[in-house]
Amino acid sequence: MSTRAIPSHSQELRPPRRSLPFDAFPFILLLPSALLIALINIYPFATGFYYSLQSGTLLQSGDFVGLANFIQLFRMADFRHALWFSAIFAIFSVFGSWAIGLLLALFLNMDIPARGFFRVALLLPWIIPSIVSVVSWRWLISDQSGLVNVMLQAIGLKPIYFLSTGSLATFSVIVVKIWRSFPFMMLSILAALQTLNRESYEAAAIDGAGRWQSFRYITMPHLLPISFVLWILMTIWSVNDFETPWLLTQGGPSNATENLSVLAYRYTFNLNDVGIGAAISFFTMLLLMIFAITLLSRQRET
Amino acid sequence: MSTHDEKTDDGSAKPERTVSRRDFLRVTGGVAGAALLAACGATPASPSGAASGQTAASASTDAGTTGGATAAAVQATQAPAAAAGGAAGDVQFWDMVWGPPAYIDTAKKVVQQFTQANPNIKASYQSNPWSSWPQVFTTAVGSGTAPDVSTGGGYQAIQFYPQGAILEIDDVVASFKPDDFLPNQIEGMKFNGHYVALPWGIDIRIPFYRKDLFDKAGVKPPTNWDEMRAGLKKLTSGNQYGIAFPGNDNAAWQGMWGLVINNGGGLFTADRKLDVMNDRTVEALTFISNLVKDGVVHPGSAGFSGDDMTKAFSSGSVGMVIFVPGTEERVTPNVKQNVELLAPMTGPHGDKGTLLFSNNLMVYKQTKNPDATKSFLKWWSANSLPIWTEGKCGNLPARTSIAKDPYFQNNIYLKRILDEWVPIGKLTGTRSSGTFPALADIDMGGMMKTLATDILQGQDVKASLQKLETTLKGLKTLQS
Repeated sequence: MSTRAIPSHSQELRPPRRSLPFDAFPFILLLPSALLIALINIYPFATGFYYSLQSGTLLQSGDFVGLANFIQLFRMADFRHALWFSAIFAIFSVFGSWAIGLLLALFLNMDIPARGFFRVALLLPWIIPSIVSVVSWRWLISDQSGLVNVMLQAIGLKPIYFLSTGSLATFSVIVVKIWRSFPFMMLSILAALQTLNRESYEAAAIDGAGRWQSFRYITMPHLLPISFVLWILMTIWSVNDFETPWLLTQGGPSNATENLSVLAYRYTFNLNDVGIGAAISFFTMLLLMIFAITLLSRQRET
Repeated sequence: MSTHDEKTDDGSAKPERTVSRRDFLRVTGGVAGAALLAACGATPASPSGAASGQTAASASTDAGTTGGATAAAVQATQAPAAAAGGAAGDVQFWDMVWGPPAYIDTAKKVVQQFTQANPNIKASYQSNPWSSWPQVFTTAVGSGTAPDVSTGGGYQAIQFYPQGAILEIDDVVASFKPDDFLPNQIEGMKFNGHYVALPWGIDIRIPFYRKDLFDKAGVKPPTNWDEMRAGLKKLTSGNQYGIAFPGNDNAAWQGMWGLVINNGGGLFTADRKLDVMNDRTVEALTFISNLVKDGVVHPGSAGFSGDDMTKAFSSGSVGMVIFVPGTEERVTPNVKQNVELLAPMTGPHGDKGTLLFSNNLMVYKQTKNPDATKSFLKWWSANSLPIWTEGKCGNLPARTSIAKDPYFQNNIYLKRILDEWVPIGKLTGTRSSGTFPALADIDMGGMMKTLATDILQGQDVKASLQKLETTLKGLKTLQS
């Protein structure tokens, strides 16, 4: 039986070929998506870059100033501090959440009772909306009648005002970020662990490898590719995190917990300086791009 | 894209519309507004006036008084439609949340009363939460969807005026008698010879103290700074401290600035030149720094929100706070009877004063019905008494006629604030007069909050002020 009598569905849709040197049909199919991406990504991106090269406000264009806003950034003490805090915040948040996620993933990968319950329960910090979780953290630690200080006082210790000095506020913001982030790490690592062939461990055990050696020479090499990706993602999310420092400390006290996102917001909306605000955002994006490309290259080498 | 200035009909400079930027904002305004409403769920640092605006301040509401006040307001609304001067059209009114939930319902009702009294003008009401302020106004103005008229913070009009968004209301102000408003209110709205807003609500920073704690410690209410320092030392014992500031809120620097003004200090000279390091300002902040060194300032202050501070005040951990009208309503009912208002103290050089804000009622240039909108503005200014008597608005009225109402005169806290504190209140721009764009940056830019938390963390006063001076010198609004 000939198949020619019944044209395929794609052949029916395919427009007659004209003089184009290539098949335009796939590109026509891609056009709606491409237009959507252009509208929601490329246009704001280009507009943001345009803002960063100008003085003025969101409502009123200023003069074209070239790269002056970017140069100005490095003269600003609050920008240098925000850059420093963003780095500290990202490093501790990424590795803190990764380490906790790894430990819990290893735990949940074992045959333990109520494993399903623990998997769901440990996901809660990731599921709860940030406004709820961060504000709840604030209630827990902000003053002497918060639960944490009530417990400290109950055992005879003095209350600790976690948000009242720069160093304690920095510590608190990082702890809350780790708490919010570890479930994602845990889930991703657990998924990777479950693809690991148990025969590798059995072979290692026959060769005399202990638990530590199995972990170091089998588990960790297997987890390294996913860990690279997780570090990149979590770094981007940490540097771009607005809600954790804002809801907990609003960047204070004395700008101690002000990261690049909060700083960009403050300049754009509170100080009406959209040029500097956009320059901060662009600088942040470039920084993260360089970081991601470097880390991915390193991953390929590894 | 270059920008050229052109003249509007009224002769003021108006920037050329920047099509691409506004078009972009128009497209994204709604989305951004919604996203911000969702993202900024927590109450941000209160802008000027916002702190007490969110207060569930309620004077004791004698039924007869309130009924009388409402009746008076209704009577006022029944004034002939001629008050609108023949103006007609739609007026969209955006109002911030200046009180508890009852405030919004009352304000809606007052807007309906306006429409009944002025059938040719259809006024609509929209309430805006502080969590999305000021972004919601920025995106609305930028996307061409600004309201006709709105209430807002003490420097909202001057923030948007240089960007061509605010309509001057010299003709509206000229229609009032000078004594229609409390002292310094109208003049505080003047910039470059034009009135950019109408004052409607007063916010002010006042010291409150716990009488029971003062009595127990044998401390009399201080009348000057020496007595205050000595009294706070006596109050401090164990987990009880003399005073607290909410460092995570603008109310911290605003409270400190009350003492700076009490000492005759400020940020500017009379001709609006920056003068951060003047002796009086340094002296006042050094006084607060010494309180920190004495250990009489609650150690949690730098991280406290306004609610944290009032909770500490209510629980008896703190004997004194410098906060907003209505603070007595923020404590538990059994503590309220022990909350007293301090009489104005005399500063070391004989000055009296505190920080005051005049919250704005402003008309936007985008209005299609300026005459109808100005009619609404005048009417609201004169007839909004129910937002206090029924809506429990946290601000004090800027109109003398409203302030004379028994609702205020029969409430010991409000009456004393109006009689003793408002007359000595000064705006952020003191020792200069009027309003100017830099004040909006100073109010919202976060640099004053940084100064306050620097001092609360025991940092050197002069170094902190120098840091502030450097930041202020970098403000574009002070360079132009």
